Amino acid sequence: MKVSARCKIPHKWLVMLALTALLCVPALSWADTMKVAQGNQSLYGDPNFSATPIAPVPQGAEVTVVSKSGDWYKVEYKGNSGWMHRGAFAQAQAPKAGGLPGMLFGGGVKETKSDEVALAGKGFTPEVEAGYRQQHPEMNFAQVDQVEGFQVDAAKLQAFIKEGGLRP
Amino acid sequence: MRRQPVFCAFLAAALALVWGCASLDYASIATIAVKTGVKATEAARPISDSEEYYIGRAVAARVLGGNRLYTDPQLTLYVNEVGQTVARKSTRPNTYRGYHFAVLDTTEPNAFACPGGIIFVTRGLVQMCGNEDELAAVLAHEVGHVANKDGINSISQARWSQVATTLGTETAKQYGGVGGQLATLFEGSIEDVFKTIVVNGYSRSAEEAADAQAVTTLKAAGYDPGALTALLTKMQAKQGGATGIYKTHPPTSDRLAKVKSLAPAGAPDQMEAVRSKRFQSLKL
Repeated sequence: MKVSARCKIPHKWLVMLALTALLCVPALSWADTMKVAQGNQSLYGDPNFSATPIAPVPQGAEVTVVSKSGDWYKVEYKGNSGWMHRGAFAQAQAPKAGGLPGMLFGGGVKETKSDEVALAGKGFTPEVEAGYRQQHPEMNFAQVDQVEGFQVDAAKLQAFIKEGGLRP
Repeated sequence: MRRQPVFCAFLAAALALVWGCASLDYASIATIAVKTGVKATEAARPISDSEEYYIGRAVAARVLGGNRLYTDPQLTLYVNEVGQTVARKSTRPNTYRGYHFAVLDTTEPNAFACPGGIIFVTRGLVQMCGNEDELAAVLAHEVGHVANKDGINSISQARWSQVATTLGTETAKQYGGVGGQLATLFEGSIEDVFKTIVVNGYSRSAEEAADAQAVTTLKAAGYDPGALTALLTKMQAKQGGATGIYKTHPPTSDRLAKVKSLAPAGAPDQMEAVRSKRFQSLKL
């Protein structure tokens, strides 16, 4: 009987160890990945647009978010580490990763109803614009959408820069 | 046996923590985190990048309400390629929704930088540019206005004070107070920016700062910075009067002298011929 009791105690502690591991391991691996939704994006050396761009990040690329500071995310992409502004992820889906996405860094920036709620109280929002458009049908927002919808293909831009002897 | 309660307590706590986390609406946590981050950064500046973007969109809509868009696909692509090439080398290579360049179908030379990154150049100004480097100089100058937030800075201080007061009210916190005072302030802000960029022009100091930035940007991008000097010299010689670009971006002697000191005319590089050739292939 004594031998049997001694065997049960280490077994319980193994369970406790496993539970502890269950709690700790996801915390270590909960690095969010976010999809870049805008074209012509770069990694920056510091969290400001004046910093030197380190490397280009194409539209649709998935980056690993390491930390967050204000509107800036410290990310890793293809062996490079640098900062990207939250605007690069606008219209992106919520971060996905093993574990509980969004808990560490607050989730992706989405131009959705929930994002509008997050922006509420900030001032000039999509809803304020909608009110303005209703009152001013003469404003040509349709063509603004057309202008904003025009994207230069990243590969074509690189070819254009190279052909003209310019700096990428 | 005495360890059994300890084990049970640990097990219960661990399971409660795991289930508790799993049952939380992480979207709510995300929203709270985003809100907190926004508030922290908003305190340090008068306007967020997203607000700047929505003002810029409305200003662009106002410009396009009175001007026709020139939709030639070749020219639109070319202007965007040159624009993106300089924008990425500017002091603000990225904005909330990026830079977008478009051509207005008028022979009157002019260019407008809407807050947030929509930049218009008229067909007349593209025609006035003799080559790609001069067009790059125009676009780099306009990117400089966006980078310096010159459009946003033209919104009257009194209006900003009103915005701050309005945002403090509970009504405004409910979906931005649409239909209320905030909408009126939005309209007023657009008017302030429109009057500055289309009618009255920027201050002399804003023009000179945008010129200085354009010279730096052109050098960084590999374009000839002397192209800005060449274009301003051309504009001054034309004596265009007090309308269009001569009103919004007056090529004064002081301005020209400062640009000359920053970017003296030099010998064109070998690739300038390639760039000029693709500029000349445009249908203007």
